[in-house]
Amino acid sequence: MTGRVVGRGFLGMCALFVLAPIVVVCAAALNGGRTMDFPPTDVTLVRFVEFFVTEEVWVRALTNSVVIAVASALLAVLIAWPIAYALWRRDSPAAKALAALAALPFALPPIVLGVGLGFQWGFLGALGSIWSAVLSHAALFAALPLVTVSIGLQSIDRAHLDAAATMGATDGVIFRTIVLPQTLPYTASGFFFALVLSFNEFIVMFFVSSSAYATVTLQIFNSLRNGFTPTMAVGAITFIVVSVVAFSLVARFGDLPRLMGADPARSS
Amino acid sequence: MTAIEARALDAAAEHGASVRRPFAWLFAAIVIFLCLVPFLFVIVISFGEKIEGAAWRWAFDATNYRRFFVGADWPATISFLYLQKMWYSLYFAVIAAIVAVLVAFPFAYLITRQSRQAQTLWLIFLLSSLALSEVFIVMGWDILLSNRSGLPMVLRETGVTDWLKAEGYFDTLRAWGLANPRDVRFKTSDFATILTMTYLVFPYAVILLYPGLSRIDPSMVEAARTMGAGPLAVVRTVVLPLVAAPLFGTVLLLFVYLLGVYVAITVFADPAKQTLAVSVYDSVRGATLDAPFGSAQAVILLLTAGGFLGASLWLKQLAERPA
Repeated sequence: MTGRVVGRGFLGMCALFVLAPIVVVCAAALNGGRTMDFPPTDVTLVRFVEFFVTEEVWVRALTNSVVIAVASALLAVLIAWPIAYALWRRDSPAAKALAALAALPFALPPIVLGVGLGFQWGFLGALGSIWSAVLSHAALFAALPLVTVSIGLQSIDRAHLDAAATMGATDGVIFRTIVLPQTLPYTASGFFFALVLSFNEFIVMFFVSSSAYATVTLQIFNSLRNGFTPTMAVGAITFIVVSVVAFSLVARFGDLPRLMGADPARSS
Repeated sequence: MTAIEARALDAAAEHGASVRRPFAWLFAAIVIFLCLVPFLFVIVISFGEKIEGAAWRWAFDATNYRRFFVGADWPATISFLYLQKMWYSLYFAVIAAIVAVLVAFPFAYLITRQSRQAQTLWLIFLLSSLALSEVFIVMGWDILLSNRSGLPMVLRETGVTDWLKAEGYFDTLRAWGLANPRDVRFKTSDFATILTMTYLVFPYAVILLYPGLSRIDPSMVEAARTMGAGPLAVVRTVVLPLVAAPLFGTVLLLFVYLLGVYVAITVFADPAKQTLAVSVYDSVRGATLDAPFGSAQAVILLLTAGGFLGASLWLKQLAERPA
């Protein structure tokens, strides 16, 4: 019994450790003054209005962040799907090579990718445009839908495929009626993972944006040099809400423990 | 099926493949363009040459690499400035990766013993904090450790600082660089840097350890328990041997991730202890604007990360090979 109490206590301590900086940032957003005090003084919600409505810098940054996150997550899924499908159908060396390539940007230090993409877009004259940022994040996060879609494809019961094929279904029909519906939750999960991480990404965006525009993370980093303001903390709250909602959706429509690699047989 | 029919079917299949092939090639080209070419740019430009001003030109010499290892004025003088930055990259990353895994291992183990629903909630919680930008995490810890309203303030107000002074521990803290003459202070210190970096990878550590731990057969644990083993003995004799390889692999992966940390280092690390990632940034975008030298540093960071990543993949294969 003492073991259980110690275990609970340990989990609680870890949760507290994870929560501490998040709570502090959120609370700091309530500050009435221009300083980041904790606990907040002169509590107000004016900072939220500033962030979402009145201060043009933040509104524009938020719009950029949303556009880049949604577009790059979609693109990442489009890059990942054919690779995952080819891996599942044939497992050919070409498919393996493409999968390794798509995993490369996510596995290596992002600053190196950022520097490289900065040169690449510079040569093509695309440095500082939003679409080059979208492509950059699609490259960086394609690894995530690649993993989730692969897990989804592996979870398809081969008996269904055999049955469909015996009954004369073509590859296209099988794909539409079995493969696509059964992997949809996993595709959506991959999309949300890419979306949330793109929303929060900083270093690659820094090199790719070349200071031509700002996303929320970039704007916050720029403001960090001039000291904290509570408006920045509102940005942080937005991010936390987006993350929690996205991952809750993933958990609601997909099997999160399974996605994270838990044993599917023990779904008690 | 007659031979002619078979031939016709083959031809039809081939026709389908040849229609698809250009798309396959185009797709492969896109993936190569987005995922491989940026790294090639960095490698090629690292051999380039800086021109006065802010530009550079193509070249093929190893000047930038020589500057990295022995300094720009070698052989007249020798400088290990950049090797030192490299050392700090490894130093912070190794310690933070090990600490994160030491805390995450019992945490992940305890989670996997809970119900599926509780596991899902914990995972949402961890993923949300994992996705949180480095910028915010640094912002949060910066407030928590600041003199005005953070931990030093708490220690001062509760009298712990005075107690430390009275008992003589304060001098020890000063010797460790965790106090100024009057107060406890965490900015800038190795402690704050490693704490923040540990925080950054803690959710990753749990999520990487989670699959291995959740696949441990509960009946094995129960068997050990019925034979009289205590909970700790179970962990030591049953759980640890099963996850020893993933444990080490996780440390390696976190270590590689931490090599690229930028914001935490610039805010919390001592100016003399800045890492390679910061130096790459300074060279490419900062005051010096020396893209080729920045690239050379990035290549060395890339090779280091790639080497450790390769090692972790190799370990994984080794662990998965049937005994």
